[in-house]
Amino acid sequence: MLKREVAKRVFAKEFEACRELEKSERPAYETADSKTPNFLISPLGLILNRVFIAGVLTELDSIGIQNDMWKARIADPTGAFTVYAGQFQPDASIFFSTVQVPAFIALTGKARVYEPEPGSVFISIRAEEVNVVGEDIRNRWVLDTAEQTIDRLEAFSDALVSRYRGETLREYLLDRGASEELAEGISIAIEREGAPQEFAKQLRISIREWIRTLNLESEDTAKARADQKEFVLELLREMEGGKGIDYAIFVDTAVSRGVPEETVEEVVLSLLAGGQCYEPKIGIIKLVA
Amino acid sequence: MDEKIAPHLEELTRALGDLEKTGIRAEFDKLLAFRVSPEVAKETILRRYGGKRKIIKVKDLSVSLKNFEITGRILDIGEKELRPQEGVKEGPSKLYTGVLADETGPVMFSSWKELPGSVGDVINIKNAYTRLWQNRIRLSIGEQSLVSKIYDSSLPQLSELSKTPAKKLIDIGAADYSISTTACVVQLSHREVPVRGKQSKVISGVLADETARLPFTAWIKLPGIDIGSIIRIERAQVHMFRGMPSINLVSSTKVSSVSSEEAENLAFTFESAAKDPAPLKIEEIASRDSMFDVITSGNVISVRPGSGIISRCSECSRVIQKANCRVHGKVEGVRDMRIKAVLDDGTESMSVMFPRELAETIYGKTLEEAEQLMFSDISKDAVYEDLRRFLTGRYLAVRGNSSYGEYGVSFVAESAWVPEDDIAVRVVELLRRLGPDEEDQGSEFSGGGINLA
Repeated sequence: MLKREVAKRVFAKEFEACRELEKSERPAYETADSKTPNFLISPLGLILNRVFIAGVLTELDSIGIQNDMWKARIADPTGAFTVYAGQFQPDASIFFSTVQVPAFIALTGKARVYEPEPGSVFISIRAEEVNVVGEDIRNRWVLDTAEQTIDRLEAFSDALVSRYRGETLREYLLDRGASEELAEGISIAIEREGAPQEFAKQLRISIREWIRTLNLESEDTAKARADQKEFVLELLREMEGGKGIDYAIFVDTAVSRGVPEETVEEVVLSLLAGGQCYEPKIGIIKLVA
Repeated sequence: MDEKIAPHLEELTRALGDLEKTGIRAEFDKLLAFRVSPEVAKETILRRYGGKRKIIKVKDLSVSLKNFEITGRILDIGEKELRPQEGVKEGPSKLYTGVLADETGPVMFSSWKELPGSVGDVINIKNAYTRLWQNRIRLSIGEQSLVSKIYDSSLPQLSELSKTPAKKLIDIGAADYSISTTACVVQLSHREVPVRGKQSKVISGVLADETARLPFTAWIKLPGIDIGSIIRIERAQVHMFRGMPSINLVSSTKVSSVSSEEAENLAFTFESAAKDPAPLKIEEIASRDSMFDVITSGNVISVRPGSGIISRCSECSRVIQKANCRVHGKVEGVRDMRIKAVLDDGTESMSVMFPRELAETIYGKTLEEAEQLMFSDISKDAVYEDLRRFLTGRYLAVRGNSSYGEYGVSFVAESAWVPEDDIAVRVVELLRRLGPDEEDQGSEFSGGGINLA
């Protein structure tokens, strides 16, 4: 199969806890041969090879004998990913040689396992594609990843409650709407590690804390908009002085004081609709005394 | 000598049937003439014609399947004279084509040899193979296939098999040959197309039910039917065009309007069917061979080489390199722009093609502006590099048609936009799913304890 591997959405905490998945552990994987890529499996049963992440580039080092390898750290709400790019990833290497730290970046890459001695495992990403993005894309990635992680957490605790194992568990999960791959991953993960209760709890806490800040931010922006409306009304009172004011002049003044034109229009329209102001002449607005 | 080979011949006969008639005996003798031992010759032939041959039902047929056995009733058969190719003296000059069916469905077949049966007969084919022909699976019966007529078959009768199954639009695919369905006309237009040198009037449009949308073409008049009509279609033909099923209404198709009382029992109305389709996950798109007019979104995780400014042959519109068309030789290239990108939502990935108009919209540069960038930069990949910097990582929503092939899902976008996102709604839902803090839970429990005390 030459089909492209899906880029999984996963938080750093779950990614770093991944371990190598032996091909022999996948009975359902009939097509496994030497061309099949190496897969990792997370404690929650996510099977992955390629990942797509969006986060903050916080550290960047040039390493290797001839400084021909870049090592980067990309932070997300739960921790940080370690990313490498070397001579065989020329596009990513060029990118890292020009980017400023810190920056919001989006990155696609493949998971790598390094186990210098038994018991110490390092999981990293080898970069494929990388780009600078806006904060909005990072925030959205967090929400996407949170949704897919919670889907997994829910399926996993569902699996534990069911007390099924192996083939029965797989069929139970499929029946409950899990994908083929997740059903397989969860049954392997349970076989391997049992119930990573503490891990799941910590993951939930980090996701929740971060998402709350996003919630506050959106409340903040709502509040900021309300303040702006208040300001527009004040400004209108001041400029109109009971005699009316040319609409175009008013808009220009408001915009020059940092209020977006849409907000000005919105406020004036709502005042007109609410009968709090009117147009004595076309293009002139006047507040009702 | 004969004594030595007799048991092997016996074994071959048991496994493969009449050796003389099928030419296997001749092949066996040929191997012996090369002084291959009878033992090895037998194994060679068994491997080729028999061995562990799979018996397959029509519904399990897939592309590039080889050496299987299938039994079916002939629903339709015809023959085509083939024009002899220049330079090829021998070779079959007739091709027999038709439709074969078992209880799991019908399949088109083509045979290079005359079949021992006609419409209504049941035949058994050993060593059949499949090919992709006109975008659909076709059962091929070659020189090496063994075909025999079965007299006492338990397969359903012709009348039963040739009944067209009633299907929802989403279930119509490359395996279908003739279907019946009830759907709503959501688009309709008249056009003229040349058919064998003559201009013919056809009606084309889009049908929808609660499951999907599909294009249709009517070669017959549709009196009283227009956008908004809910129609019942019986015995329509399914054609494949660029991997997409299309419903053809032909002279043998019966089309009738569904009365408004009957329409009340349907799971869709014109209003619901005409609405924009609901966004799907890429995983759902990948689970189907093809989907018509669907919406999805994801991140652009890679902009593929070949994106940017390209040259096309002025004769045939093929993409050309260095002003050389592989069909028309040296030609004047016509500049065009396109984007090929991998869109991934974490559930699946798909390759999306954005033609010029969409490429200009999402890139924010026209072809002319992109050309200026190309001429002002020394790198010949300036536009491609700029596209990568601009698009990689971004969110895009697309609407268009998908088909599933060797490399996964290919999607041709008809429109594209930056998907809107309601962060506040998603955050509230996520916090609900994450549940209250462990600490909060703890205090609730202890509070309960105090109340009880």
